[in-house]
Amino acid sequence: MLSLALGTMITITSNHWVTAWAGLEINTLAIIPLISKSHHPRAIEAATKYFLTQATASALMLFSSMTNAWSSGQWDITQLTNPPSCLLLTAAIAIKLGLTPFHFWFPEVLQGSSLTTALLLSTAMKFPPTTILLLTSHSLNPTLLSTMAIMSIALGGWMGLNQTQTRKILAFSSISHLGWMTIIITYNPKLTLLTFYLYSLMTTSIFLSMNSTNTLKLSTLMTSWTKAPMLNTTLMLTLLSLAGLPPLTGFLPKWLIIQELTKQEMTTTATIISMLSLLGLFFYLRLTYCSTITLPPNSSNKMKQWSIKKPVNTLTPTL
Amino acid sequence: METALLLNTSMLLTLTIILTPMFLPLLLKNFQSSPQTLTTTIKTAFLVSLMPTTLFMYSGLDSITSYWEWKFTMNFKIPLSFKMDQYSMLFFPIALFVTWSILQFAMSYMASDPHITKFFSYLTAFLIAMLTLTLANNMFLLFIGWEGVGIMSFLLISWWHGRAEANTAALQAVLYNRIGDIGLIMSMAWLASTLNSWEMQQMFSPMETPTLPLLGLILAATGKSAQFGLHPWLPAAMEGPTPVSALLHSSTMVVAGIFLLIRSHPLLTNNKTALTLCLCLGAMSTLFAATCALTQNDIKKIIAFSTSSQLGLMMVTIGLNLPQLAFLHISTHAFFKAMLFLCSGSIIHSLNGEQDIRKMGGLQKTLPTTTSCLTVGNMALMGTPFLAGFFSKDLIIENLNTSYLNTWALLLTLLATTFTATYSLRMTLLVQAESTRTPTMTPMNENSPQTLNPITRLALGSTVAGLLITSFMTPTQTPPMTMPMLTKTAAIIATTLGLIFALELANMTHTMTHPKQNNLLNFSSTLGYFNILTHRLSSTNLLYTGQKIATHLTDLSWYKKMGPEGLADLQLMASKASTTLHKGLIKAYLSSSALSILVILLSL
Repeated sequence: MLSLALGTMITITSNHWVTAWAGLEINTLAIIPLISKSHHPRAIEAATKYFLTQATASALMLFSSMTNAWSSGQWDITQLTNPPSCLLLTAAIAIKLGLTPFHFWFPEVLQGSSLTTALLLSTAMKFPPTTILLLTSHSLNPTLLSTMAIMSIALGGWMGLNQTQTRKILAFSSISHLGWMTIIITYNPKLTLLTFYLYSLMTTSIFLSMNSTNTLKLSTLMTSWTKAPMLNTTLMLTLLSLAGLPPLTGFLPKWLIIQELTKQEMTTTATIISMLSLLGLFFYLRLTYCSTITLPPNSSNKMKQWSIKKPVNTLTPTL
Repeated sequence: METALLLNTSMLLTLTIILTPMFLPLLLKNFQSSPQTLTTTIKTAFLVSLMPTTLFMYSGLDSITSYWEWKFTMNFKIPLSFKMDQYSMLFFPIALFVTWSILQFAMSYMASDPHITKFFSYLTAFLIAMLTLTLANNMFLLFIGWEGVGIMSFLLISWWHGRAEANTAALQAVLYNRIGDIGLIMSMAWLASTLNSWEMQQMFSPMETPTLPLLGLILAATGKSAQFGLHPWLPAAMEGPTPVSALLHSSTMVVAGIFLLIRSHPLLTNNKTALTLCLCLGAMSTLFAATCALTQNDIKKIIAFSTSSQLGLMMVTIGLNLPQLAFLHISTHAFFKAMLFLCSGSIIHSLNGEQDIRKMGGLQKTLPTTTSCLTVGNMALMGTPFLAGFFSKDLIIENLNTSYLNTWALLLTLLATTFTATYSLRMTLLVQAESTRTPTMTPMNENSPQTLNPITRLALGSTVAGLLITSFMTPTQTPPMTMPMLTKTAAIIATTLGLIFALELANMTHTMTHPKQNNLLNFSSTLGYFNILTHRLSSTNLLYTGQKIATHLTDLSWYKKMGPEGLADLQLMASKASTTLHKGLIKAYLSSSALSILVILLSL
C-alpha cells in the first residue's frame, strides 16, 4: 500500500523519463500481490495478465523516451519532440490506462481482483499515466487520441451491454470514461483532470457501496436493498451520475467536454460520443433498475448487517 | 351572310328536335314519350340535318358559333361553342340516318321488353352525347360528350342487368375507357397550361408539339376505340342488346377516339414519333383483331372483332397523316357495320336467341332479304370495288403502299385485309350456305316491315354512300394517282387470297375431321391470351401492392424496423460481436496490441 503511494508520488513529480518509468514500475510491482491476494486461480490469472500488459507498456514507454533522447539529446518529459516517440508513448499510455484497442486486459483483471483492489486499479492506478499524458499533451497526435477515444467510448458501451458481472460492467464504464477524458486532452487538459477527479469520486463510491453489500453479480444486486436500504438509494443516484444525467454531478464533465469540442469545430465528434454514451446509459439504467427501481413490496426474512460501511462517501457525488 | 345564318339555324333546329323528347315529358304533365315518337323525332332530325349538310357541300362554308361563356377564371374562359366544319357536317346526317334505322329496328327487336321507352331514351341520350362530342369546338365540350357516351355505354351494355356477364362486361367497358380518360385529361391539362385555352383553333401551330400531350391523346383513343392494349371491352360489350351493339359499338361511340385524333390532327402533324406510334398501334390492333375473329363462333363477336379491326385501320390512316381519309372510313364503316349488326340481330331473333354460327346454316332460303343484305355488308367490309367500303379502304391501302413509312405496318395491314376476307366469308358460308343446322321449330320470319326496312335502307346506304361522300368532300391532300399495277391492286389481291383461303378451309369441314388443338388455334380462340393474362394479374398486383405498402412498408418497416427495433437490433449485433472478441486469450490481446502499434506507427 505504501509503495503504491510512493510510486505514484515519484511518477507525478518527475520531469525525467527514467524517474517516471521507475515510478510506474514500482506501482506495477506493488499492486501485483494485491491482485493475487486471494490465491484463487482467476486472481492469479488476472495478476499474470496485468503484469504482462503493464510490462509491455513500460517497455514501450522506455523505448519511446530513449528514441526521443537519441534524437533530441534530452530526457525532459515535456520536451517530447520526435514524432515516432510521441506515437509510441501514446500507445504505451493507452495500454497502461486501458484505451481501445489496448483495453482487453482491463475487464479480466478487474474481474479477477476483489472489489477494493478493483477500486484501486480503476482510480489510483490511472492517475500516474494520466499525469504523463497531461504533461506531454501538447506534443501528442490529436487524431490518434480522438480515434482511440471514440473507439473506447463505443466499445465500452457495446461490451457493457452484455455483462452480468458488476466488476466487468464497471471496467467497461471505466474504459468509456477514459475515452471521454482522452478526447479533450489536446484541447483543454484541465477538463481531463476535472473529468478524472469526478470519475474517481463516483467510481469510488460505487465500488465501496458494492463492497458493503458484496454484490458481484447483477442478481445479487437485486437483493441488496435488504442489506442496507439507504445505501441502495444512494447507489442508484451515483449510478445515474456516472451515466451523466443532468442534475447530478456526472453531467458536468460531459457538458464541458462537449462545449470545448464544439469550440474546436468538432461537432461531429461531439455528437458521436454523446450518442455512444447512450449505450452506457442503458446499462447504468439496468443496474439502477435492478437495484432500486424494482423493489418487491415485502420485506425479506434475512436482514444482514455489515460492519464495514462507508455510506457517507456516497452522498458527495450527488452534490 | 344568309348561308351562314341558314346553316347555323338549321343545325340548331336539328339539335332542338333531338332534345325535344327528352325535355318535353318534364315540361308537360300528360306527355309520354313512346318508342314511336322517338323514332319519328330522329327521322325528322335526319331530314332537317340534310339541310345544313347540303348548304355546306355547295358553299364550302365552315362555321363556329359561340353561345355562352363560362368564365372559369380571369384569363381562362370556356365558351359553349360549336364547330360546324366538314367533319361535323357530314357526321350529323350519317349518324342520324343510322340511328333512325336502328331505332326503327329496335321497335320490333325490343318489343317484348317492358322498359322499351327507357331503352329508347337511353339511346337518344347517347346520341345527344355523341353529337355534342362531334360538334365541340373546345376540349371541354368534347370531354362532356366523351364522358356522356362512356356512361351511356355502361348503362346500355348492362341493359339486361340480371345477367352477370352483362354487368362484368359493362364494368370492363367503363374501366378500360377510364384508363383512356387519364390520357385525355393529361392532354387537356397540358393544353390548358401551355396554350391557356381549350379551343380547337388554338391548336393550329406549325411548330412541333412535345410528345407528352400527344401520347395522352393516343392513350385516350386507345381506350375509347379499343386499340390493342385496351381492347378487351369491345368483344365483351356484345352482352348488350343488338341495337346497342349496332349503334354504339360499331358506328358511333368507338369512333369517338379516332374522331378526337382527327380533330387534334394539327397537333399530330409535325410529331413523327406520335404518327409512327399511331401507325404501328393501328397495324397491331387490326391484325390482332382479325386473327381473333378467325376462330370465333358467336356471330356478334365476329362482327365486334371486325369493328375492332377496322378501328385499327382508321388508326393506321391517322398515322399516315390523313385525317380526312380516316373520317371517310368512319362514315362508310358506319353504314355497313350497323347493317351487319341489324342483320345478325334479325337472324338471332328468328332462331329464337341462337347466336352460335355452328348452329346456323342454309338461311339463304328462309331469310332471303336479310341474308342478301348480310352478303352486301360483308362485301362492303371486304372492300369490294365500288361498294361503300372500297372508297375508303382501298384508298387507305394505296396510300400506305405509296408512302415511305413503316413496312411492317404495311405488311400487317395487308395481312389483316386478307383475314378480313377470310372471316367474313366464313361467317357468310356458315350462316347462309349449305344445309341447315338449326333446330326444326324456329320462329323464322321476315314479315315485319319494321325489321326489314331499316336493313334495306342501310344496304342502300352501304352501296352509294362511298360514292356520294367522296364526290362532295374536297380532299385537303392530294391522293396518290400513279403507282405500279401491283400496288394498285394490292388490296384486291389480298382480299381475293383471303377468299380463296376461306373456301379451302370451308371445304375441309366436309371431311368431318375433329379439329386438333394447335398453338395457332389456341392463340386465336383465346383472343391472344390477353384477357387471361392481364385481367387477373393487374388486379391482384394492385391489391397485393396496396396491402404490402400499408402493412409491411408503413407499419412494419418505418414505424418499427427503422425506428426503435432496428436500432436495438443494431446495438445487439454490435454488442454480441464485441463480446466474442473478448475471450480472455492474452496472446490474442498482446498480438492485437502489437498490430495496432504497428498500424499507428506506419500510418501516422
